[in-house]
Amino acid sequence: MSSDVRFTDFKSDKQPTWCPGCGDFGTMNGMMKGLAETGNDPDNTFVVAGIGCSGKIGTYMHSYALHGVHGRALPVGTGVKMARPDLEVMVAGGDGDGYSIGAGHFVHAVRRNVDMTYVVMDNRIYGLTKGQASPTSRSDFETSTTPEGPKQPPVNPLALALASGASFIAQSFSSDALRHQEIIEEAIEHDGFGFVNVFSPCVTFNDVDTYDYFRDSLVDLQEEGHDPNDYEAAKEVILDGDKEYQGVMYQDENSVPYHEQHGVTEDMSDIPEGAPEDAMDLVREFY
Amino acid sequence: MAEDLNWAIGGEAGDGIDSTGKIFAQALSRAGRHVFTSKDFASRIRGGYTAYKIRTSVDEVQSVVDRLDILVALTQRTIDENLDELHEGSAIIYDGERSWEADIPEEMTAVDVPLKSLAEEAGGAIMRNVVALGAACEITGFDVEYLDESLEKRFGGKGSKIVENNKEAARLGQEYVQENYDLSHLGYDVETTDEDYVLLNGDEAIGMGALAAGCRFYAGYPITPATNVMEYLTGRIEEYGGHVVQAEDELSAINMALGAARAGARSMTATSGPGIDLMAETFGLVATSETPLVIVDVMRSGPSTGMPTKQEQGDLNMTLYGGHGEIPRFVITPTTISECFWKTVEAFNYAEKYQTPVYVVADLALAVTEQTFPPEAFDMDDVEIDRGKLVDDDEVDEWLDAQGRFRAHAVTDDGISPRAIPGTTDGAHMSTGLEHDELGRRTEDEDERVQQVDKRNRKVETAKENEEWDYREFGDADADNLVISWGSNEGALVEALEYLEEDGIDVRVISVPYIFPRPDLTEEIEAADDTIVVECNATGQFADVIEHDALTRVKRINKYTGVRFKADELATEITDKLSEEVPAQ
Ligand SMILES: Cc1ncc(C[n+]2csc(CCOP(=O)(O)OP(=O)(O)O)c2C)c(N)n1
Ligand code: SF4
Ligand SMILES: [Mg+2]
Repeated sequence: MSSDVRFTDFKSDKQPTWCPGCGDFGTMNGMMKGLAETGNDPDNTFVVAGIGCSGKIGTYMHSYALHGVHGRALPVGTGVKMARPDLEVMVAGGDGDGYSIGAGHFVHAVRRNVDMTYVVMDNRIYGLTKGQASPTSRSDFETSTTPEGPKQPPVNPLALALASGASFIAQSFSSDALRHQEIIEEAIEHDGFGFVNVFSPCVTFNDVDTYDYFRDSLVDLQEEGHDPNDYEAAKEVILDGDKEYQGVMYQDENSVPYHEQHGVTEDMSDIPEGAPEDAMDLVREFY
Repeated sequence: MAEDLNWAIGGEAGDGIDSTGKIFAQALSRAGRHVFTSKDFASRIRGGYTAYKIRTSVDEVQSVVDRLDILVALTQRTIDENLDELHEGSAIIYDGERSWEADIPEEMTAVDVPLKSLAEEAGGAIMRNVVALGAACEITGFDVEYLDESLEKRFGGKGSKIVENNKEAARLGQEYVQENYDLSHLGYDVETTDEDYVLLNGDEAIGMGALAAGCRFYAGYPITPATNVMEYLTGRIEEYGGHVVQAEDELSAINMALGAARAGARSMTATSGPGIDLMAETFGLVATSETPLVIVDVMRSGPSTGMPTKQEQGDLNMTLYGGHGEIPRFVITPTTISECFWKTVEAFNYAEKYQTPVYVVADLALAVTEQTFPPEAFDMDDVEIDRGKLVDDDEVDEWLDAQGRFRAHAVTDDGISPRAIPGTTDGAHMSTGLEHDELGRRTEDEDERVQQVDKRNRKVETAKENEEWDYREFGDADADNLVISWGSNEGALVEALEYLEEDGIDVRVISVPYIFPRPDLTEEIEAADDTIVVECNATGQFADVIEHDALTRVKRINKYTGVRFKADELATEITDKLSEEVPAQ
């Protein structure tokens, strides 16, 4: 396929079963548009989806894709990209998937700076399992498993990324379609690990972090004149617990992605029909 | 029986025991002698007892025995730990100038060599072990020049001065013994031959097998005794355009390997029991998404952290049955170090032909043991690569449905579906751990569920028919006594046959390298009067499988001390077992 790829080419014919109004619709649209807009096509794109309502995205999109086990999407994406640096790799999952069961992988994927995009559909709740607290839920957010709230501060994923040495940190809102798509495109085009935390409201189980809440409280960093290349400024907005921001918080202009650092450039799927020609040298090493 | 010499060096971890032993083993190998090494070690970096043992002969050796002829003892504990194996003709090399008072049984020959002083004379105390090697050469009549090449190999990277100093240290040790002792009465005289052998361990053989088979991606998390596979591949796989990643844990390692496999690379991960537990989470996904993946389990003593540096074959049930739900898989259990190479090559082919996870289950005894082989044992021309039903741009068309969608999980007679890797035009599809239809889309439709389960299981049936799942056989094929084993016990069993033969006991040995699918041994068991299953675990996991297959009771020899079977010990155990009653049906 070539430049005439449209975003609908990334759409599968499976109708989403998300609740009407779910933020994930908008998140996915932005991803598909972003992929098409940056010159990708389904045959050279690999999408890895986590488990959760958010994880269903792999089914609703059309591309090479893997829908794996809960919390392990980032390692899968890492393996895909290392074996095939030519592919566009996009990983998507929920806040539970990424910051709870997969938190360990998040830290290390950020550190590795593999050239892929990571979209977290952050609804501050466990949607698929019907409404338990997630790592980004507010400390007083009452759920079936936390009747008085978790009484723990929510994790700040942006700060976690920053502390882990991220080269690209952004946040968007699924309902602000244009900005969301722009931010996704920047993440795709970033040379390295492009991390976007997307506010993707759950209309069924979260009556606090709602569309109205985000609409009223979101501050757009672009309008504020924020410079994403300024680490100190990035630190300030990321650690600012009083406001919800949207935009690219931080981008390291000198980011060198993993495969370049490690000289991993070849298509690993291409192998000879027998042992490599000089393979007896491997044996002779043991003389 | 082979005229063998059993040599060892022992001391504290951190004393350079391993590298010294390796230098001697390599020298013997270069001198055209067969070598079989083993290690006693504790899971500590410094302190604690550790020993490197070498059994060597001009004939093939594939087991350890309970006898030690020459011992280089850097500590008293080294002597104490090995009292059972030492005998009247043993010589013990030690340094009388060191602070400890050597307590050596009278009947043995104590060879006091000022290892440290001589090493200092050669250029540094650090070379004292090499002085001891020189001393050992003199006692065994082994030309000290044979050490030169392995010293060059070991120290070449540190400059010619260091190499020369080491050569000098060896000569000082040799001359010291020559001048101060007459040990000809011990009668050791190490013969050499013109044969060229290579010396390698099971982890290295697995790594080399992976490279030969076209493995390009490896992800792993360090764990004894599998780390060596990763270390072997690192620095070599890059030569072929591949890459090794040290993952943050085994959950990640297997998922990275899975990702690379879905992207089309031949991909592998290796671990030991604790890592297999973590990987079990993803194992079902590998099978359900029909991803070709090789997973190596180098077993060590469990459960939990168990005895991490000790031998055990305790993970058979885990690899055979582990993971929730019902998961088709292959379980391959190499029985020798050279087979670690060949079975790894096979594993990659099965993985891709059947788009199924393949376990290569080795054990610590194979992994850390070095053994000599003629280089032809790894003839790379015999390596075959079969990538199965991989489809290209043109072939994709045959597998599109009416709407032009690729049927990645097409239901076929042999159960095997076409495989399109990313970049293949019109091959884009979804793979998932959820039950899915032919297109890879989630389904809970009863018929589709049954079709997909059946097709995945049918791949195993196809493999059972199309591949050879042979066992390896030794001893007397017509014997009434049948001994069955799996994994690393083969070498000790083969050598035990010689002891048994001396006692007039005929035994047929069957060594099984495939546990799933596996050869059906019912006829062999029915033909025998007595069947014994030998394995390094307490409960007899393989014996259970055999009893289930053949619907009969078998006798069992189980060892779970953490130490591998020895040939002579096994011969005695088999003799005793044969006189026992068969357990009740
Ligand atoms: C190992 C494992 N534990 C638990 C589950 C059940 N589970 C499925 S999704 C989920 C949480 C999903 O939350 P999140 O990642 O925020 O996704 P959302 O549904 O909110 O999009 C859980 C606990 C599972 N699938 N696997
Ligand atoms: S439960 Fe919430 S997250 Fe899940 S589909 Fe419905 S609205 Fe979306
Ligand atoms: Mg969520």
